[in-house]
Amino acid sequence: MNIFLKDIDNDRLATWDNLIDDINNSSIYNPYCKAADYYTVFKHIILSLLIDEEVILLDSDFTESELINLTGHSDYDEFIKPVEKSNLPILSSKSELIKKLSNSTKNWNVTLFTSGTTGIPKKVSHNFNSITRFVKVSGRNEKSIWGFAYNPTHMAGIQVFFQALLNGNSIIRLFGLDTKKIYNEIKDNNITHISATPTFYRLLLPCSEVILSVERITSGGEKFNEKTFQQLNEIFPNAKITNVYASTEAGTLFASQNDIFSVRPEYEHLIHIENNELLIHSSLMGSTETNVDEWYNTGDVIENVSQKPLKFRFLNRKSEMINVGGYKVNPLEVEEAIFALTGIKNVRVYSKSNSVLGNIICCEVVASSKQITELTLRTFLQSKIQEFKIPRIIRFVDALSTTRTGKLKRN
Amino acid sequence: MMILNKNKMDNKMEVNILEIINTVLNNRTKEKLTSINPEMHLRNDIGFDSLDLAELTVRIEAEYDIDIFEDGIVNTIGEILKILENK
Repeated sequence: MNIFLKDIDNDRLATWDNLIDDINNSSIYNPYCKAADYYTVFKHIILSLLIDEEVILLDSDFTESELINLTGHSDYDEFIKPVEKSNLPILSSKSELIKKLSNSTKNWNVTLFTSGTTGIPKKVSHNFNSITRFVKVSGRNEKSIWGFAYNPTHMAGIQVFFQALLNGNSIIRLFGLDTKKIYNEIKDNNITHISATPTFYRLLLPCSEVILSVERITSGGEKFNEKTFQQLNEIFPNAKITNVYASTEAGTLFASQNDIFSVRPEYEHLIHIENNELLIHSSLMGSTETNVDEWYNTGDVIENVSQKPLKFRFLNRKSEMINVGGYKVNPLEVEEAIFALTGIKNVRVYSKSNSVLGNIICCEVVASSKQITELTLRTFLQSKIQEFKIPRIIRFVDALSTTRTGKLKRN
Repeated sequence: MMILNKNKMDNKMEVNILEIINTVLNNRTKEKLTSINPEMHLRNDIGFDSLDLAELTVRIEAEYDIDIFEDGIVNTIGEILKILENK
């Protein structure tokens, strides 16, 4: 059987033939895509490519108020339109589908949302070339079987999806499953490639099994420590383990097998280092609503290891974004959501380092009423922001530990 | 009054861990537990996700001054108790 997607959490086992049938039978299209079912999301992206229309990906757990903030709507039924049959060729095979995908993308772009620096997530759009810049299509990749370990509406997930799609690979969902099921899925399906956050890998440990099918393990989004690296090596002895540097704005840019990243010569002129900060050329970026200068400052502070060839090591981030298990959280956005509850006088959101997630969100709150408890605040936030943005440790205090005169220290 | 595993009725540490687990569950509006036992699996039996585990480690660290996940992820209540007992 030629599997396109297996997702045991949604009870899905779709072959490439099932996918082609569903695409051929599509009669409506909505540019907005918000679904918890991975197959629905993937089919939606493929349909958008074939009819060359924009697709806007929304996290399935966005709250109503987040949706309104981001898109101005919380219901998208009004955007449904019929598919012009003349624009949708009848497909007969997987190879025909893959060929058509890369040929019909003049107007196509994908829009997704990332934590912005101003407190509200920002929109980032990519065209086909920028989203597939690092996709490698080759005969060698034809037999890859991907363990899918990202949210399908986030940049990293979309990149894995395109790598698998354009090589005609099988995708096996691993994200959000419990550890035992993850191992079962890896073994039962002979998964060869996994790309995930360090948190995902940490939750797989410890494990006494040895799995030989996995050839490649990629990790990105936060720092990968040496111990996790060694433990993974023991479980997956045949896997080459690679770290990648990626962002929603630019996608995957660099890869390394230790903590030193090297830049391929053809990209060297698009990378610039100024005051030890990493700048990337605007041609590598997706388009955002804000104007981007020729050089985009990533906010990452790096140590330049060698000039020719260009090699560097990441030291820290200058920005105040908090990385929670690979998800970026903007403390300002969380503070804004907390302030929206009546009776909150002041709040400070900060991070604490954590052995499970890298960082955990904490906050200090000054409330004017005893009625506000940890539980009422949490319940309120659940209707405002996604779960991973909600502080896990909430302290009620009489005054914040630093004053508002200057910038609040977050660490 | 919380009901505990019979043999460990007087185990203060187990009572504390149960309370901490219930705080984490309550924070996610999940149903509280009435008892725990060493075989219970944090993810499969109690239903913790990575956010819950992260909160659990912070709360246990605040109480016992030890990061239970420092040397890798622990899976069961028994493993937590062992780490804390060996402190």
